[in-house]
Amino acid sequence: MGTYIIRRILQMIPVILGATFLIFAMVFALPGDPVAGKCGERPCSPAYRAAYIQKYNLDKPLPVQYGKYVLNLAKGDLGTTSNNIPVADQLKLRVPVTGKLALMAVLIETGIGILAGVLTGIRRGGFLDNLVLVSTLVLISIPIFVIGNLAQLYLGTRLGWFPVTVTSSNPSVYQLLLPAIVLGSLSVAYVSRLMRTNLVENLRSDYVRTAISKGLTKRRAYGLHALRNSLIPVVTFIGFDFGALLGGAVVTEGIFNIPGIGGYVFRAIRVRDGASVVGAVTFLVIVYLVVNLLVDLLYGLLDPRISHE
Amino acid sequence: MRGTARTVAVAAMSAVALLAAGCGSGDSGGDDTSAAGGKTGGEITVRGCNPENPLVPSNTTETCGGNVIDAIFSKLVHYDAETAKPTNDLAESIDTTDNQNFTVKLKQGRKFHDGTEIKAKNFVDAWNYAAYGPNGQSSGYFMEPIEGFGDTQCTGEGDDPCAGAGKAKADKLTGLKVVDDYTFTIKTSEKVSNLPVRLGYSAFSPLPDVFFTDPKAFGDKPVGSGPYKLDAWNKEQSIVLSKFADYSGDFGGKVDKITFKIYQQSDAAYNDVIANNLDITDEIPTSALIDEKYKQDLPDRNAEKETGVIQTVTFAPTKVDPNYADPKIRHAISMAIDRDTIVKQIFNGTRQPATGWVSPVVDGYKADQCGEWCKYDPAKAKALLQEAGGFKGDKITLSYNADAAHKDWTEATCNSIKQALGVDCVATGVVDFATFRTQIGERKMKGMFRTGWQMDYPSIENFLAPIFKTGASSNDGDYSNPEFDKLLGEAAAEQDAAAANSKYQQAEALLATDMPAIPMWYGKTTMGWSDKVTGVKITAFGTIDFTSVAVK
Repeated sequence: MGTYIIRRILQMIPVILGATFLIFAMVFALPGDPVAGKCGERPCSPAYRAAYIQKYNLDKPLPVQYGKYVLNLAKGDLGTTSNNIPVADQLKLRVPVTGKLALMAVLIETGIGILAGVLTGIRRGGFLDNLVLVSTLVLISIPIFVIGNLAQLYLGTRLGWFPVTVTSSNPSVYQLLLPAIVLGSLSVAYVSRLMRTNLVENLRSDYVRTAISKGLTKRRAYGLHALRNSLIPVVTFIGFDFGALLGGAVVTEGIFNIPGIGGYVFRAIRVRDGASVVGAVTFLVIVYLVVNLLVDLLYGLLDPRISHE
Repeated sequence: MRGTARTVAVAAMSAVALLAAGCGSGDSGGDDTSAAGGKTGGEITVRGCNPENPLVPSNTTETCGGNVIDAIFSKLVHYDAETAKPTNDLAESIDTTDNQNFTVKLKQGRKFHDGTEIKAKNFVDAWNYAAYGPNGQSSGYFMEPIEGFGDTQCTGEGDDPCAGAGKAKADKLTGLKVVDDYTFTIKTSEKVSNLPVRLGYSAFSPLPDVFFTDPKAFGDKPVGSGPYKLDAWNKEQSIVLSKFADYSGDFGGKVDKITFKIYQQSDAAYNDVIANNLDITDEIPTSALIDEKYKQDLPDRNAEKETGVIQTVTFAPTKVDPNYADPKIRHAISMAIDRDTIVKQIFNGTRQPATGWVSPVVDGYKADQCGEWCKYDPAKAKALLQEAGGFKGDKITLSYNADAAHKDWTEATCNSIKQALGVDCVATGVVDFATFRTQIGERKMKGMFRTGWQMDYPSIENFLAPIFKTGASSNDGDYSNPEFDKLLGEAAAEQDAAAANSKYQQAEALLATDMPAIPMWYGKTTMGWSDKVTGVKITAFGTIDFTSVAVK
């Protein structure tokens, strides 16, 4: 187990380096002029352009730019954004916010999704099953910006149950609750369906029948045997979803004015802010890798046949 | 970008609206304005966005930073909030006898936020710094009229024009001289009749001595000269201003504290205003403009005003795309555009159909300069096209930057042209503003493309010279008309403002004949506010007038 983890962590190094290079090269390859939007509707003055290009090494070839970036990175310097704010400071401020939001969303989707999946899986065809089927269908088919805006309008602005937007740089759980519900709502649908399908399949399998005929209670046979096996794909999905929520909450972050990573990357890409994109995306890559490692380790817990030795 | 009205601007103008202008801070005079009363003191929050550059007046030409800079810096002149008319602020007088040699006398006793007095050298040093090429200031070109500007620019080629032999010859403008602590002179290289009008733009702000010791630190926490001082800039979150206790000018504000809360989306800001979490938003989202929903959401708490913004459609230079060279074809296209309907359908009336190339908010504006060419007349348009021998290319194209809300109106415009002329017209999106401007700048864009302009200073000249003068910096269509240039030169030499304006109007009339760009509409700003504030007014620049706003 220990060596497995160490090996996996060592494997991350080339992945991270490769990812930074790819992202760097892609930002570098974007067409257009990085200063064209900096001065409003008119072109920037030549003096401004020259100073800007020099400051960000934009006149150098790709390998030189990348080399400089990695050298600074090794020194712990993530560079500055195009509007002159240290990327590291921004990440420090934004990562906890997005992390908190994504964690809350994952908790909500896991709690509700697994519960709904188990209940409907055990009593399939019943009223609850149909209810969950229809409501998840509705959730899946509504785009998140519709859910977000409606929730903000009715639950925030009209009823006043939740804050309309996030107003602090270190938002409380209550401030993030509505966005987290919105963010998790789509995944709730996926988790519950995934859970249900897998459970239904496993309930029909031989080992469950054996367990029951052996005299185990239904609760024990389902809970201990079928559920554990059915959780494997669900855990895989949740692990992937956590990473996706971190970087992909752009829409929700925008609606609720949450100072998170998603909006930051989005804005950075639009203004070709290479240092910000690479910094933030590298962080996301690391999160993905770590979460995937955790998921792999969880497999072993859920199904002892999967060994990491 | 800004919203509604500003949406207009935004939308209309592009991602980063320009702005230079912004001089927003004020209204005609201090405390007399309180239309709706309101007490002195208290704090307000207003919608803000991320400044693109450090907060140095000479390096800020976009609205996000410009709105803040305007509130914390006083200039020589102050533009009236209602009429945009300039009145002396830091200046006691600005005199000239020949439109080329100006003597500026300062009021004594005005102070920077660090307590030092504002003296003549603070202006001269700041302007020299702005002009000097290696400093790379984005609004350095505002100093262009001043004698000696050419020598302060780097002349090298390539990405680093300041390297080697290209290095600027001088780091000071020869046209600026300090006479004594409160007097300095400006000599321009050519006659400029409206120089005093220009001096209210933030690029002409004075800078305290502390700026020159550490420009970088200054950009984070500027020491200004205005009625408000900057307390904190929490990057990407908020910018906090508070009243400057030693402010002795005439354009102070009523509230004690102003917080710019930075929003990523205008919808979020708008919803916060409705919920009373935010006091003023200067941008109403499109969703609230439909059927004027904002007027129900915020009854008696909204305002709308025309601003110095114009949207135009420019024809590619003739050498790039000869198909549009004939003015008859240009006139035909212009007459084929149903501006009224598009403004109503697409913009919910948040634009004003244009009748010329100059915004109605500026001094010297003359209505209907475009005449019949800007009136929708499909029959006449078609006849004109036939007279010109039809359209030679296979289709008319209208390009726009697809990263802002231009798709709807460009397509509507194209449909209007297509129906009236029977020639296919396609609205072509270019991935983003940067790419769009690059293609235009490199003269690779064919057909027609959208262009916008937001004034830097409220003068008719600002809508003509920078855009249509031969070789001007924003002359995207390479328009060149010797007679037009000559009229501009004559206007600049006029001593009398009315006589100068009349020359500028004659020049503008030439644009109707040549049609280098089609006027589309003027921008409007729409604002909404919470029920905690009163006296909210919109300046001619589309910004909040901080002299009149007060807490109830």
